[in-house]
Amino acid sequence: MSQAPLLSIPLVERLLAAAMERGAGFAEVYVERNENTAVTLDENKVKSAQSGLSQGVGVRVIAGAKVGYAYSDDLDDEALFRAARTAALIAHGGGSEQAFSVRRTPLPTFYRLGEHLSGVEVEKKRDLIVRANRAAHAYDTRVKQVMASYADTTKRILVANTLGHLAEDTQDLCRINVMVVAEGKKGERRTGSFGGGGRVPFTHFDTFTPEHVAHEAARQACATLGAADATAGEQTVVLAPGWSGILLHEAVGHGLEADFIRKGTSLFAGKLGEKVASDLVTVIDDGTMANARGSLNVDDEGAPTRFKVLIERGVLKGYMYDSLNAKLMKTETTGSGRRESFKHTPLPRMTNTYLAPGEDTHEDIIKGVDGGIYCANFGGGQVDITNGNFVFEVSEAYEIKKGRLGRPLKGVTLIGVGPEALKNVSRVGNDPMPDPGMGTCGKDGQGVPVGVGLPTVRIDRMTVGGTKVRG
Amino acid sequence: MNSYEQLAKKLVARAKKAGAKQAEAFVQVGREATCRVRDGEIEHLTQATSKGVGLRVFVKNRLGFSWTSDFEPSSLTAFVERAVQLAEAAAPNPLNGLPDEDELGDFPEVGPLYDAEVASLAPDWKINAALEMEKAARAFDPRIKTIESVEAGEMVGEVFLASSAGVTGYSQGTSVYLYTGAVAEADGQLQNSWWYDARRFLKDLESPEHVAKEAARRAVRMLGAKKVKSQKVPVIFDPMMAASFIGGIAGAVNGDAVFKKASFLASKLGQPIAPTTVTIVDDGLMPRGLATSPFDGEGVPTRRSPLVEQGVLKTFLYDAFTARKAKTRSTGNASRGYRSLPSIGTHNLYLEPGTVTPEALIKDVSHGFYVTSMLGHGTNLVTGDYSRGATGLWIENGELTRPVQEVTVAGNLLDMLMRIDGIGSDLTFRGSVGAPTIRFNELTVSGE
Repeated sequence: MSQAPLLSIPLVERLLAAAMERGAGFAEVYVERNENTAVTLDENKVKSAQSGLSQGVGVRVIAGAKVGYAYSDDLDDEALFRAARTAALIAHGGGSEQAFSVRRTPLPTFYRLGEHLSGVEVEKKRDLIVRANRAAHAYDTRVKQVMASYADTTKRILVANTLGHLAEDTQDLCRINVMVVAEGKKGERRTGSFGGGGRVPFTHFDTFTPEHVAHEAARQACATLGAADATAGEQTVVLAPGWSGILLHEAVGHGLEADFIRKGTSLFAGKLGEKVASDLVTVIDDGTMANARGSLNVDDEGAPTRFKVLIERGVLKGYMYDSLNAKLMKTETTGSGRRESFKHTPLPRMTNTYLAPGEDTHEDIIKGVDGGIYCANFGGGQVDITNGNFVFEVSEAYEIKKGRLGRPLKGVTLIGVGPEALKNVSRVGNDPMPDPGMGTCGKDGQGVPVGVGLPTVRIDRMTVGGTKVRG
Repeated sequence: MNSYEQLAKKLVARAKKAGAKQAEAFVQVGREATCRVRDGEIEHLTQATSKGVGLRVFVKNRLGFSWTSDFEPSSLTAFVERAVQLAEAAAPNPLNGLPDEDELGDFPEVGPLYDAEVASLAPDWKINAALEMEKAARAFDPRIKTIESVEAGEMVGEVFLASSAGVTGYSQGTSVYLYTGAVAEADGQLQNSWWYDARRFLKDLESPEHVAKEAARRAVRMLGAKKVKSQKVPVIFDPMMAASFIGGIAGAVNGDAVFKKASFLASKLGQPIAPTTVTIVDDGLMPRGLATSPFDGEGVPTRRSPLVEQGVLKTFLYDAFTARKAKTRSTGNASRGYRSLPSIGTHNLYLEPGTVTPEALIKDVSHGFYVTSMLGHGTNLVTGDYSRGATGLWIENGELTRPVQEVTVAGNLLDMLMRIDGIGSDLTFRGSVGAPTIRFNELTVSGE
């Protein structure tokens, strides 16, 4: 790394020493500098161009299972030492005068950008959304409104701890997003939304073009015009490949995060080695995928990210750990410690979570369904990791009749209990597809970018929410 | 003059000098402290201060916006230039600009928002409150197996606003909160529930014991929850779920969504959209309210706006830009933090209470669903389609009976509003949105 460190290394070492003054077991300094750019378009006009800068330092001190945390966005020595001493208060021991030295950990590179996104002229970013707007309107005369946005961040982090580790990384991330409102007969309005990006160079948008994004958003909005009400009740459901992976993220992924496991609040706690899903289900969390939205060279505690098998052929194989929960559970971190910013302490989180491909073709899976629902696109979802209940809004859905896709359906919500849904997975497609890079996962008020992925999947029984009751 | 106020004014003056026709600086300064305990010991203590400024500039009718948390003088010079440069990349729009003179004016008297007791709360208070909650939640019932989290904390915040339209605003406030998440376990089933309270004044805050017991009670009563058959029945939302429903409706009175016809209420102004018993108010002036403030995010005086009065849709909410577009005036609903441009939002939003007790609303139902928790967002404001995952208690012959989970409640918001046939007297605020218990005469519950 050619740039000077975010904070001088001797200063970092002195801060670590100050944080350990009261005899804690561990201390960590996290430094962040984050440059953001965003452009938004609404009603055919580039509404605004904006940029932001945030920087700060978070000091974490651990004494047993107790955590002291303090952060500051003032980077002068006085403010930094105040933060270190405040965090140190968690420990009650007497003054140790220990010095600490840290050494740089060499990191792999899962995203290498020729030019950081913060260095790309804002005019180029603006032009993407201007093109998207034009393309969305040109797609269909029923397209009435288009909202487009582009946003990126170039985030530099430095993490150092009293184990002697020092890691530095620069994490670029961008995303384009297009939302379309289409109007049909009698003023009926439907929306479509699509976007993507990742830890990619700006040239990504030469191939993942704004026109492609706009057409997909417009297609969704127009395709669902005239949609019929879904019938409520249990049905066979087929999930489209790609973004549907959000279902896996919610229904299974969160319940495998180590904090919930340690506290016994997840229904997957204590089930290692047990059968929790159908044989067809293998779930991976992989922080090392090239240029993916959820990838990291190093997590926010300075540990390298990994490829992790969470569920293998239906058997629960592992959880996702940050360093604190790993230590308390007497195991090792899986490089899953992530935080939204220096204002937050790390939590075990997902990176890119996907279902491994199976053997069936997409066509065969649909052909095999006599009656059911094809879920082509999802809105958001949420899970209660304790009882396993989850919900998803399906933004684009079709009925399946005698092995063929039929008319579009509206107002479809899927609801289920994680392990039950996994046990009912009866076909898995051979069409692995990562999502285009648009997910942000929220936990304890902290948002972090994640990737999801899923091949075409058939689930035999799932409750579909709707307004129409059968019979 | 306070140094942050000076800073805000200086940034505005510098932006004008750098070529901005209009400029506005919004400074936020705050500190927070939180405490979490686990198994009778402190688990997590956080203490921090933060600050930031957002600078909005208009150059030849183009909007540029920049924000930073770096207040070093050299960085601030580049920061002002950056905002002005960014405006070049945006499109000119004659509707752009700060609020007009007739939208500005004297700030209303909103009463005290700052509690010195909260601002000087001893760390021990939080630790003890958290310990007490943990103990009370465990003691409530032997089936409470795990405490997910107990937390206490306080925040102190200040806002400084200065603009070239001549506005100088300052407001200061405190908040304090308690949170308990409890997990109950029986027959291999886990149920998690939580309760919290947040207030500006320590005196208004529910007791730690109450918060803990409520969380535990809500978790235990869900044990044994099962699906029910899909059916259409009367549905009751408890005050927290009713507040979430009202919050959803508020998104549809957003003037921008209305202007774009992206709201199911766009064509309903002046028309009855609910029974005459329904009055929904957005109140920026509510005494001691968490979202009370003398001015909004662009310096417009706040007010009390009835959104729905006796069932009739009365007002949409506007910031200055959207108001200009819709040829009306700002309602003082520009909401923002220093990192974001103003956008339309609510202040203290609530459904006015009725006269019936919540028990009486339940008594009248022979078969129905009492909803106490929901999952998913499930509200499409363009179409009004509503479908959310729900858990709660089944009503049989006017009594709450068995727990229910893994179902959805669905309807269309316009239709749902009309179906409100009972409003309880138990208006409660959890955060800045409040509602009493409400009953819908019939909604679709999807299960088996």
